[in-house]
Amino acid sequence: MRPHATTPATVPTRRAFSERMAEYGAVDGEFVVFEADIGYSTFSHLFGDKYPERYFNMGIAEGNMVSAAAGMAADGRTVVVSSYGVFITMRALESVRTFVCYPDLNVKFLSSHGGFTPAIDGVTHQATEDIANMTTLPNMKVLVPADTWSSKKLFDVALQTPGPVFVRLMRDPVLDLYETGDPFRMGGSHVVIEGAHVTIAAYGDIVFEAIEAAGILAKDGIGAEVIDMYSVKPFDREALLKSLDKTGALVVAENHQRRNGLGYELSNFCLKNKVVPFENLGLEDTFAESGSYGKLLEKYGLSKTHIADAAKRILRRT
Amino acid sequence: MGTFGSASRHLAKRRQDWRRILKTADQGKRKHTFEERVAFLTEKTKEVRSRIIDMIYKAKSGHPGGALSAADIVTALYFDVLRVDPANPRWPDRDRFLLSKGHACPVVYSCLAMRGYFGLEHLDTLRQFGSILQGHPIRKTPGIDMTTGSLGHGLSIGLGMALDGKLRGKDYDVYVMLGDGEINEGLVWEAAMAAAKFRTDNLIAIVDRNRLQMDGCCDDVMPMGDIAAKFKAFGWKTYEINGHDMAEILRTIEKARKVRGKPACIVANTVKGKGVSYMEDRFEWHGKCPDADQLSCAMKEIWGEDS
Repeated sequence: MRPHATTPATVPTRRAFSERMAEYGAVDGEFVVFEADIGYSTFSHLFGDKYPERYFNMGIAEGNMVSAAAGMAADGRTVVVSSYGVFITMRALESVRTFVCYPDLNVKFLSSHGGFTPAIDGVTHQATEDIANMTTLPNMKVLVPADTWSSKKLFDVALQTPGPVFVRLMRDPVLDLYETGDPFRMGGSHVVIEGAHVTIAAYGDIVFEAIEAAGILAKDGIGAEVIDMYSVKPFDREALLKSLDKTGALVVAENHQRRNGLGYELSNFCLKNKVVPFENLGLEDTFAESGSYGKLLEKYGLSKTHIADAAKRILRRT
Repeated sequence: MGTFGSASRHLAKRRQDWRRILKTADQGKRKHTFEERVAFLTEKTKEVRSRIIDMIYKAKSGHPGGALSAADIVTALYFDVLRVDPANPRWPDRDRFLLSKGHACPVVYSCLAMRGYFGLEHLDTLRQFGSILQGHPIRKTPGIDMTTGSLGHGLSIGLGMALDGKLRGKDYDVYVMLGDGEINEGLVWEAAMAAAKFRTDNLIAIVDRNRLQMDGCCDDVMPMGDIAAKFKAFGWKTYEINGHDMAEILRTIEKARKVRGKPACIVANTVKGKGVSYMEDRFEWHGKCPDADQLSCAMKEIWGEDS
């Protein structure tokens, strides 16, 4: 693919996703949306404003919301459940597992406030274990759009993929990367920068740090290939192998606990299929805290310089 | 395995009678009187109870106490109340039934097999590897509307089904049977709150108030007080009945179905282990399997005659 230029995003991914959901209400006249009294935060109200009879505010009660969504989906209807990641993936985890994933129902999760993107809200609202919880569940698919266009496209992908799909979204706008028309699919990825020496795999907000890191590395003559692994489960094995055949080194960076995130999954994959020098950046067995997003990236080791340093470390170029 | 013989012998002796009764019932050439329905269902509960015990005995595992306390109500549902088609388990217009207290599933499995959703021979495979009859209900089993058994979720799921019915303009009802221990779960009350908000008058909760839960008396484990009053406070229409009085069961469900503008809850006072004297009101029989002598004794008591 062409080298991707980034521009400041005007809307956060949570809003872009919900905007598409409201548009899609006309495409698919049957799906309904459940929310738990944060519709103006997740922007799910954009759907509710247009389709009030298909929009259910279940109150501040996420467990009931998800189990009721399972009941609503039991005879084939698609339900989009919207809330914050911490509530969907932890408070309602058993409902997600036993009543959505086990019966393999068409429930899609609009999960805002992924990672520490709700930086100023503090740890209670930062979903830094959501990917671990969701990827572990059989039948669950996990998508993480990085920007406006990918959020809209991945809404379509989520609705058109049978069974449960979890979509992690961000609180604040970061950057835009893709152009209208760029394709997205379940199990896909995009190489957003090509390079020959090291592969950097990331998803969501950290894709932009990876792009910046590639710029730093380029100054040192290191060609970094950045892959946007927007489909976290299933992930794009072929694209990863193709990239590693070229670069032979892998850095995974994610706004998530380092344990049991994409890094663990890809390292396991590499151990079985292609052993390469490897580094995995994420929260190192710690919670984050309140503060600006940029400060948190620095303190918790996910900034562009951390990613670039990790790449140099595994290339023994420090 | 002579004791099986005693169970089977009872069934064989009565099979002819049932065929006759069922045939009459299914033909529907004339409307049965209320007394006839009650008599028919009362007779059916004997077979349901005997199959519950037989099934758990063969599986060497299961939950007889709560299955027996629910037996009269579940029999009434499957053999009189529910609009279902065993030949088409996913018929979109069917009434739904969720056994939220899923551990009592032998009572539902018995009714489903007796209604012809699957062969009676499957009852002998309860809890075994490869069986369609899992330890707790799953929706792959013909006639099971949803996976249940992790306590506290059934009312929420029923609420979702009720909302789906409303949105589709269907007139089906959703029945959810809860345990009185199960309602310790906070999720039940989240669902109670939401069902009142959405005025799901097609949702009927039935609480099997047998007053025992796994570790002992409900009042000792976690006193729930006046359960009907609690549902009423949430905005539900409520009823209290004797859950073993078939006439009262039928009359009350009929009333609950006609409620408009709010969901209905029937608190059914029952006896755990009902029908088998040594199990009655004993929490130890929540999840215990009878031995051969106990099986034999249970069969005699259920059928009310010497075998």
